[in-house]
Amino acid sequence: MTAAIEVSGLTMSYGDRHVLRGVDFEVRAGEVFCLLGPNGAGKTTTVEILEGFRRRTGGTVSVLGLDPQTQPTRLRERIGMVLQECGFPRQARVAELIDSWRGYYASPRPLADLLQVVELTEDRNAQVRKLSGGQRRRLDLALALAGDPDLIFLDEPTTGFDPESRRRCLAAIENLRALGKTIVLTTHYLDEAERLADRVAILANGRVQVAGTVRHVARQAGIGTKIKFTAPERMRDGTVPPPGCVSMVIRGDTAVCAAAGATPASAVRDLLHWAAVNDLGDLEDLSVESPTLEDAYLQLTSAGGIR
Amino acid sequence: MTIPATLGQARPLEPARLVWRARGRTVGLAFRQARLEQRSFWRSAEYALFTFALPLALLLLIGSTTAAGDLPGTHVEGQMIFVPSIIAFGVIVAAYVNLGTKLATLRHDGVLKRIRTTPLPAGAYLSGVLGSTAATTLAITGCIVAIGAAAFGAVPRAGGLPELAGGLLLGVACFGALGVALGMVAGSAESASPIANASYLPLAIMSGIFDPTFPVPHWLSAAVGLFPVRALAQILQQAYTPVEHAPLSDWFVLLAWTAIGAAVAAWRFRWN
Repeated sequence: MTAAIEVSGLTMSYGDRHVLRGVDFEVRAGEVFCLLGPNGAGKTTTVEILEGFRRRTGGTVSVLGLDPQTQPTRLRERIGMVLQECGFPRQARVAELIDSWRGYYASPRPLADLLQVVELTEDRNAQVRKLSGGQRRRLDLALALAGDPDLIFLDEPTTGFDPESRRRCLAAIENLRALGKTIVLTTHYLDEAERLADRVAILANGRVQVAGTVRHVARQAGIGTKIKFTAPERMRDGTVPPPGCVSMVIRGDTAVCAAAGATPASAVRDLLHWAAVNDLGDLEDLSVESPTLEDAYLQLTSAGGIR
Repeated sequence: MTIPATLGQARPLEPARLVWRARGRTVGLAFRQARLEQRSFWRSAEYALFTFALPLALLLLIGSTTAAGDLPGTHVEGQMIFVPSIIAFGVIVAAYVNLGTKLATLRHDGVLKRIRTTPLPAGAYLSGVLGSTAATTLAITGCIVAIGAAAFGAVPRAGGLPELAGGLLLGVACFGALGVALGMVAGSAESASPIANASYLPLAIMSGIFDPTFPVPHWLSAAVGLFPVRALAQILQQAYTPVEHAPLSDWFVLLAWTAIGAAVAAWRFRWN
């Protein structure tokens, strides 16, 4: 697969303040790539450099084979952006606004198509100022897609949404993925990143700390799989000794085991063997949970992780 | 098949042709932007009404209260002064007040920031906006000239066409540039309108736009002469009534303020 974005040794300094200290990552064509990191980590700076809005201090950047610093206009023909807090002209109507945006591009996407992708076909004649927050965000998306871009930047697309608006916005983003677009997403919602992203990168202290699939990132964070089940009465009152094969803590009525050194499968086998020996039957509510991106993120960005 | 050497030599011309094609596209985009701006202007009742109603209402008001005949101490009929003065006022309202507050609002609302994400060149956008402003100004001027002629018998003199056309052109350029500068300098959408009014209204009053006989001390008159409001009014007045020794300085004042406006606009230009 070819790379849509290649960044290597990217640095950015404002006077003595070094915001980016050598950022390296790659976004493959057709994937959803999520840039994560604490506030002030340099996510927005990085994205603005990629979009051609900001001049970098050093390093090389290639976006769709172009250097955003020297070829911003050619690049903007082929990329779409959803920025935070962008307004609409006060008098505009939905379809009309999208149509006027299509005119800025040499080969725009058909209007009906755009309305459909962002699920605004029914609101095509609505006045923009009467739209809800979620509808406005989807209109943002439609305008970003007007030029039929190969690459789309989404900066915190669902911040401040209620669950239903968020669901529809995420559905629209998944529609984009189905169109084969490359998407670069920044977000504060880790579950969103986990659901949408093919790969994530965590940016902190001016560098990419870890990049890869969610599972890869979790492994890098050193977080193991957890096995949970409802702790039987006879175990809680001490009649049955806890299993020796796994490290276990009890939270409320739930036993949480970490497969120390073993694979999750062998840990489950050992647990079931222990349960059978002690006549505990099938362990109630048994579940095997892979680490979430949130676990990994918190581990990696908390004190002792990255700092 | 071998490629003739001349074809290979012709290749370096390609980029130039691309540049021309890009320029043609930029001009097309500017025209398109001007049309979009016009559509949104006429749809926005408050802008359109304010821009048209204010000069026209003032024209009728001043026209009906000014006594017929020559202005005191001159051989110039009153309507030959106040009608072109109101044309100057229309130019200022459309190009300076309107454009300045509009750009401040678009900037404040984040619309400019969004336009910046598209391949539309900044030059094409601004040309479109200024072109739309020129069209609006022309429409207002047409109304004022027509009402001035029909209601008050004020018709531009045949030899005054260069002053009328030149004054309108330079007036739109000057106040348009100052309007863009205002839109960039104003801290918020809300402050743009008061700043605009506070900056031109006192000058307009002291320049005799609303009352040519308005008494101003000599030193103040000299100071007001440094600003573009009276300069534009006087140039347009020459289009209606011949002035024996028409001062060339008015043109230079307008040119100087066009340069100042353009410099501030370029220096402070920002998309958000």
